[in-house]
Amino acid sequence: MTKINKNPLEIEFGEDIQTTPVRVAYVKGETSIAVERERDEEVLAFPHLIVREVLLFEILLIVLVIISLIFDAPLEDIANPLHSPNPAKAPWYFLGLQELLHYFPPVVAGVVLPVLVVIALVIIPYFRINLIRDPFWTGNIRKKFIIFSAVVLLINSPFIIARAFPIYICSAFIYILMVVPLLFPRSSGLAARIRKIPLADWIMIWFVLVSLVLTGIGVFFRGPEWRWVWPWKSGIYY
Amino acid sequence: MKLFHYIIQGRVWRSIFRTGLPETNYRRSLVILNNFFLHIHPAKVKKSTLKFTTTFYLGGIAFGLYLILLVTGIYLMLYYRPSVPLAYRDMKDLEFVVSNGKLLRNLHRWSAHAMVFIVFLHMLRVFFTRAFHPPKEFNWVIGVFLIIFTLLLSYTGYLLPWDQLAYWGVSVGTNMIKATPIMGEKIRFLLLGGNFVSENALLRFYVLHCVVIPLFLTLLIGVHFWRIRKDGGLQGDLEHYAEYEPDIILGKNIRVEQRESPNQSLVGTGNDENK
Amino acid sequence: MTTRNPLKNDAQQSRRKFFTALGTGALAAASTGAVVLSAEFLTPNALFEPPSRVLVGKPDQYPPGSVAYLTEHQVVVVREGAGYFYALSAVCTHLGCIINWKSQEGVFRCPCHGSIFDKVGEVLGGPAPRPLRHLALSLTPNGYLQVDKSIEVEPSEILKV
Repeated sequence: MTKINKNPLEIEFGEDIQTTPVRVAYVKGETSIAVERERDEEVLAFPHLIVREVLLFEILLIVLVIISLIFDAPLEDIANPLHSPNPAKAPWYFLGLQELLHYFPPVVAGVVLPVLVVIALVIIPYFRINLIRDPFWTGNIRKKFIIFSAVVLLINSPFIIARAFPIYICSAFIYILMVVPLLFPRSSGLAARIRKIPLADWIMIWFVLVSLVLTGIGVFFRGPEWRWVWPWKSGIYY
Repeated sequence: MKLFHYIIQGRVWRSIFRTGLPETNYRRSLVILNNFFLHIHPAKVKKSTLKFTTTFYLGGIAFGLYLILLVTGIYLMLYYRPSVPLAYRDMKDLEFVVSNGKLLRNLHRWSAHAMVFIVFLHMLRVFFTRAFHPPKEFNWVIGVFLIIFTLLLSYTGYLLPWDQLAYWGVSVGTNMIKATPIMGEKIRFLLLGGNFVSENALLRFYVLHCVVIPLFLTLLIGVHFWRIRKDGGLQGDLEHYAEYEPDIILGKNIRVEQRESPNQSLVGTGNDENK
Repeated sequence: MTTRNPLKNDAQQSRRKFFTALGTGALAAASTGAVVLSAEFLTPNALFEPPSRVLVGKPDQYPPGSVAYLTEHQVVVVREGAGYFYALSAVCTHLGCIINWKSQEGVFRCPCHGSIFDKVGEVLGGPAPRPLRHLALSLTPNGYLQVDKSIEVEPSEILKV
């Protein structure tokens, strides 16, 4: 059975694996599939890449120096172990965690949740589901909607019980964002684009939104004794 | 100009820079390949990876920030003593007495905050462009550890000014570590070198901040870059990894032949031609 | 390490295995030793921390029904009525911040996360998981009140002077 004259890149299948071994591609002669990849044009690293790196570093340095000339880093009174400042806030990147402390005991907010977050991040690339950018709303949409709503409610129940309103409000917001485009099944604009976002992306968007909101609350809306303040009335505490 | 050309042709210059001026493509490649500091780069890069919108240069910005932090950190180390109460006094010195001390301290602080922010954005970029596809999965894991080390570096540095902000921020944070089951108290005791945040804690955090974590970070950054090179550079495109996982891309039940490198041509075995 | 070399006989193979095991065991022992050595080095044996037993004056200095907040020791000495004393630790049981005594309200408030404690240290609100620690209060032979911050006692143990 000769197939020499066939289109070189056609994929062939056969029922009998002895006579027609399955191949990825049958290529004639010295041409190789690597030829395809040449389409992506290559340029020399020196000067194109190097000059961009140098320029980037210079611009970065200039921007940072300007910021450093205008804004001063804070320095409060000398450390006094006998007197806690009111409020005692962590650096901004930990304020999200500190806000979480308001709703959950230190074991959960300080140990369990960060460890879970790290584990979740580490295992992302090992799930193929995250690689395929399949739109989320495909297949049996009705059934998917019911299961999805149930799962969302289940995951958010600990947050609702603990009255961690930033988290379940963000979940509600993302849930609405995910579901509303379903009301516009035929449109091709923004709604279609949102409808096509895969589940993995939605989960990451939710995570980023929750982090931003928790950190934002910790920075702007918490004052002495971690009470709620309105920054336009009482200023920002740090 | 004549002096310049005279120097270029001299023995001293040619012993240091072994190739001539980068006037040919061959010599331009040698600028990269013959240079100890630059040879982590490939000699040629794909044009699409140079675009701003491919990576937003976030990884590069993070590395640039790291270099700024290293240099400003070393400058600051020359005037800072990690003991109580000298630490706070030296901070005031840097602010008011040392020439450009205020600028360097501010640079260090704002670069640190920027770095935490930028590495977070970098992680998001890598995630949304799926740049962690096989075979680059482990590089993502290395990246997660890099972000943890960046946060630790920032946190240990936070204590060093020894002001109220520093002391109580670290006090509360280490009390949270106490909440870890089984090992919490012991870990806290080792970290602080005592039961409270004290001189011992300051010294330990100083060593962690200036030596231990930067060492780990530098080594991990090296591995992080090396892995990108080994896996073929900044591809930026999912289709290129089809050779590793064609069943995902093409979606069919296709048997893949074994090969060692992605550039090996997928020529059929030709056995059936004679049938 | 466990591949068989057909050119070597059984005695030579088992000799190889023995020495491999010996080497690996030695390496394991040395590594364990190094780890233990480091851990012992890192654990400080001498701590320069303030003493836990402090003298807080004579009983007469505390008027009946008073709550004395001693900032320099992070202790609160309370005198209930005539001659009943007890001492509270001013460290919040949530995450270790130093609480403040609000005399108008008659409660302790923690500035960090808003925990509220009453005069006997019971939690009235906020995230604190446990009441304030009661510290051992005793009378020295010279007639001074002494607080031992390292000994925690039951709230029912009070000092009668």
